[in-house]
Amino acid sequence: MLHLSILLWLPLAVGLLGLLAPKRAARWVALVGGLLAVALSVAFVLDFDSGSGLLQHVTSDAWIEAFGVRYDLALTGLNVWLILLTTVGFAFATGWLATTDDGRGDRARQLFLHFGIAQTAVIGALLSQDVILFIAFFDLMLIPFFFLTVMFGNGDRVPAVIKMVVYTLVGSLLMLVAAVAIGVLSTPDGQPISFSIQTIAERGVPEGSQGWLFACFAAAFLVKMPSFPFHGWLADGYKAMPLPVLAVFSGVLSKVAAYGFLLIALPLLPEGVADLRWVVLIMAVISILYGSLIALTTTNARLVLAYSSVAQLGFITLGVFSLRTDGATGALLQSVNHGVAVFGAFLAVAILSQRAGGSEDLRDMGGIATKAPIFAVFFVIVTYAVLALPGTANFLGEILILRGLWEGPSVALAVVASLGIALAAVYALRLFILSSHNRVGPQAEPREASKAQLALLAVPVVLIIALAIHPQQTIRAADAAATQAVYPAAAVVDPVAAEQMAQEAARYRNCTGWSCFRSAPPAASDGAEVPGGTGGVPPEDIAIDPSTGQPVAPQGAAPDQGAAGEGEEIVIDENGEVVGDDEEMVIEEDAQTIEGTNR
Amino acid sequence: MSPTDAAWIVLILPLLGAVILGLGFRVWTGRVAGLIGTASVGLAFVFSLVSLFSLLGRDGEGERQIASSLYDYATVAGVDVKMEILVDPLSLIMLLVVTGVSTLIHLYSIAYMKGDAGYTRFFAYLNFFVFSMLVLVLAGNFVLLIVGWGFVGAASYMLISFWFRRGTATSAGIKAFVINVVGDIGMMLGVILLLRHTGTVDLLETFAIAEPTFGPESGNTGALTAGLLLIMVGAFAKSAQLPLHTWLPDAMEGPTPVSSLIHAATMVTAGVYLIARLHPLMELAPTAQLVGMIIGALTLLVAGTIALVQTDLKRVIAYSTMSQIGYMIMGVSASVYVAAMFHLVTHAFFKALLFMAAGSLISAMAGEQSMDKMRGFKKAMPFTYGAFIIGGLALAGIPPFSGFFSKDEILAGVADQGGWYWLLWAVGYIGAFLTAVYTWRMIFRAFWGTPVPEAVELEGGHLHHAAEHRNPKTGEIEDTEVGFPGPEHHIAERARPMKIAMSLLALLATVGGLLGIPHVLMPLEHFLEPVFHHDAPQHVAGGGVTILGLVLGTVVGIAGIFVAYRLWAVPPAPKDEAARQRVADNPALEATTISAGYQARFAGLHRFFLNKWYFDELIDLLIVRPVRAVGRVSRDGFERIVISGTLVGGTAGTVRGASALVRRMQSGYLRSYAAVTLVGAAAVLIYVLIQS
Repeated sequence: MLHLSILLWLPLAVGLLGLLAPKRAARWVALVGGLLAVALSVAFVLDFDSGSGLLQHVTSDAWIEAFGVRYDLALTGLNVWLILLTTVGFAFATGWLATTDDGRGDRARQLFLHFGIAQTAVIGALLSQDVILFIAFFDLMLIPFFFLTVMFGNGDRVPAVIKMVVYTLVGSLLMLVAAVAIGVLSTPDGQPISFSIQTIAERGVPEGSQGWLFACFAAAFLVKMPSFPFHGWLADGYKAMPLPVLAVFSGVLSKVAAYGFLLIALPLLPEGVADLRWVVLIMAVISILYGSLIALTTTNARLVLAYSSVAQLGFITLGVFSLRTDGATGALLQSVNHGVAVFGAFLAVAILSQRAGGSEDLRDMGGIATKAPIFAVFFVIVTYAVLALPGTANFLGEILILRGLWEGPSVALAVVASLGIALAAVYALRLFILSSHNRVGPQAEPREASKAQLALLAVPVVLIIALAIHPQQTIRAADAAATQAVYPAAAVVDPVAAEQMAQEAARYRNCTGWSCFRSAPPAASDGAEVPGGTGGVPPEDIAIDPSTGQPVAPQGAAPDQGAAGEGEEIVIDENGEVVGDDEEMVIEEDAQTIEGTNR
Repeated sequence: MSPTDAAWIVLILPLLGAVILGLGFRVWTGRVAGLIGTASVGLAFVFSLVSLFSLLGRDGEGERQIASSLYDYATVAGVDVKMEILVDPLSLIMLLVVTGVSTLIHLYSIAYMKGDAGYTRFFAYLNFFVFSMLVLVLAGNFVLLIVGWGFVGAASYMLISFWFRRGTATSAGIKAFVINVVGDIGMMLGVILLLRHTGTVDLLETFAIAEPTFGPESGNTGALTAGLLLIMVGAFAKSAQLPLHTWLPDAMEGPTPVSSLIHAATMVTAGVYLIARLHPLMELAPTAQLVGMIIGALTLLVAGTIALVQTDLKRVIAYSTMSQIGYMIMGVSASVYVAAMFHLVTHAFFKALLFMAAGSLISAMAGEQSMDKMRGFKKAMPFTYGAFIIGGLALAGIPPFSGFFSKDEILAGVADQGGWYWLLWAVGYIGAFLTAVYTWRMIFRAFWGTPVPEAVELEGGHLHHAAEHRNPKTGEIEDTEVGFPGPEHHIAERARPMKIAMSLLALLATVGGLLGIPHVLMPLEHFLEPVFHHDAPQHVAGGGVTILGLVLGTVVGIAGIFVAYRLWAVPPAPKDEAARQRVADNPALEATTISAGYQARFAGLHRFFLNKWYFDELIDLLIVRPVRAVGRVSRDGFERIVISGTLVGGTAGTVRGASALVRRMQSGYLRSYAAVTLVGAAAVLIYVLIQS
């Protein structure tokens, strides 16, 4: 029943169905289709087994047999939450479009058709387990947005969208070349060529070629995000797109690029990643600072969000390239968080601009909070999510990314990146204050948002709160897959640290070390199942027991901790006492006296 | 009911209040909203008491430290973060202070904020603040601690900007928020650093392994010191210690109950609580302790000098708060935990009282806060005057008021360590002298002497109302739609809730010292002592130092009051013509006849203090301007010229439409974009080739 192909093609089918519907009804068809997709993806999330690092709901069929291209789809810890983000984002934007003139107008059917194509493309890119299939969907994403912008956009949209298409296509072509090369280079003599990601991972890509292959993939992904200095299309492109379309473009499509790194680049090209990761890391950190600084000074509300995305995507990239479980998990969590926050932020900007006579200039806005209290509350919650207030899941994502950076590539990088958090506070609050507080702006007309708009805005707000209260489900789904994705590259950079990372990540799982995360059965010679690998642990890690990743307690607590089942409900305190269901932990006095006597 | 069950209820109640008020903001208008807000916090206080007695019912000392968790918040990469609270005597003391003082301030606000356009919103925010503060206090692990830390920052921001149509209020709000975010970042990095060595974020687990992990033999002391210093950045930002203090005076833009609750009694003392909470770690890092002591001492001195010359009533009290927190930070950093916590408690009482009294006085002045316009309110406002006197005596440390015992205990504890610590001790007493002077300057200037018209009007039974309100800073006419200064003003003499709240606090400020009279009566010490008991040398000063301190403290306090009396209470008639003219123009300046002479004589020093040691200007010059400039250059220069200009071939064209599209496909844009991107790609390729 739960079949990934249904989820994949549903949006396109709904779009086509909409063509048959009367003009006025097109939006309802689209909305029902969008909600169906949400329901379906919720079912997938509920059905997803977070404990396992394996591919789930695998669909595998031949597509272009001559070239070994397959129609391979699967749900993994990396994509399961991004899929939900996608369906929610598209349903949200569909609902939003339904309230606009475009969604009711003569061209509504084309609008929703393109929207359906876009959604299918995004879901396809997320689900693909075949490199060529991934690229096909990745490039398909661009086409509907080209038409959506040209048909429904604002201002000088044609040059803007051309610029965007050219940027993206050049990246994509490089990626296509690299993908073909990966397939060819990894195929041993006499065997059929395959582009399946798993097969390539098992076969391995020749080390010498990995550098340029990685560079080609990185070019495509970094343009899509966009990252500094490939963001030339950003300002014009963002200004030209209609806001509901922009919400999904910025909230969802940019994440596919970050996901692409985790899906293809890191597992297949570990040597290339190891060689070039610093280039990407530095670009990302520049993106954070540069994007934040521009967001800080621009007066166009839309551009504040545009450049803030550059900064946020910088964080996500840093997390991915920290090559650590926490960093990559944080990056995935942050992808979801940022998507949700951006949906709300763009809708808020649309409402604000409506109340400012169509202007998106912050200088024309101001002071509407008195007359629009509900909107103001929603907007401030969205603002807090954008600036990653501690307590939101965005904060958790950032702290995970910072930890990944600190433990992984460099402490200095973590410190510099953290400046971005302070800058985010400034630009996000500035956006809120200039638009909603202070005196009533010259063009502002303080009125509450309409009921439909408030209902829509409530969606991201509720999601932000839900993620804030219980982020664990997202993290739990991601961390095994994230460990799998980063491990090969991490092992090239530093095998000992990678093994230790895998052990730490396995601390609350029913296995030890890297063996937890292998999707294929471990090779006999690997030695990874031997708990420990104690020989290689550097002396400064003396306080950490390598077999459990546990700090060594005075009594040498519980080496069997790793085997404590799923381990979630059972807590072992420092005295080795298992603390039961009453969820109260009493630290006995002797733990403290020991400390006292050691002094 | 177990202590933790009660604590969970304490935590939930204010959140519930905030949510109920927020959702029903159209339903609960007027007094009902105030009652809901007050009731939720009042109930939280009741449950804090339940938790206290339940904890006291446990005999063994070790059993008084209880953690309780609801669910896994985030488990990743071998670190398990739970939704977890920690109840022990230390957090319980904070719980009682926070909920207790909050209840009184909510009560006060019922009357004080009456008639404000954002009445319901105010109580919703206030309840949210109490919730945030409780998260901070009860947090059982570092992550929740930072969450509470961030939440109080957000609540503080919303309340500072409460009257959000005032430009001064919104800019004060963003300043407070951003400085606090800097603190949050410090904490995040510090926690990440500690986590690297401990492998856990749980507080009790961290403390349990602190000694083997970070002790002198472990070789990790440097890491611990660095981590703690980063965490202390958070403490300093929140507690307005140098150089991250500049937001606190500006935060006085918020309504006065907010200043009383957040910026005097509770939130700003969070840094003190944090250091006390982390004492097992602090004890292992003497360098971090030293930094804390020095920063505390510097802050108390600097703030004291600034308070001496400010004329804004609330800002004087704000600087006084900064200075008092300086004492506490110095105390906790010097391992004088119990005394510092004791001072935290008594300070909450008398400082909240002073702010409430100031609010009443400001109401009588119809929103005017400048002392240059106040004079002679003694007869018109006897109750407020009485509250000022009690608060002032406690703040100046005059026996038997509460501030007397607590401050001197900190200083005695510091001096007890001998050596150059006596220097800090001396700084403490210089600060105490300044405290007495500026506190009583405020009281004498506002209440003594010839009544100003507002006071005369009030004596005649009518509360002054300005025809039109102007923002004293910018001269802008106030937008009264969001409240300030509101259609109504309320003074303690006429509003019963204000009177009750202030009376209770006055009582506490008077007898609060009973919680800990050195060597005589020390219930607080006995209660808190088990928390700190394993920290070897307890700096409970010997009798000699204590008695010397108590005597000296009294002398210094009385001397300060005497100086203030001579300068500002009943100055002689002005002698020269210029001074006479000044007083004729503004009768309230009568008080400054003598001090104006000193100001003229030490003009440079006066300007230096008046401009707050130029900290704002320095931060502006070193951080704000460069950041803005780089941003502007990036946007207008680099972005326009390099990224979308030269690099990709000019800005958007003039010709539109599909035909133009085709034409461009053939020549111009497309090729140049493609060329540029390919050149970029080629550059990357070349780099790769060189590398491999």
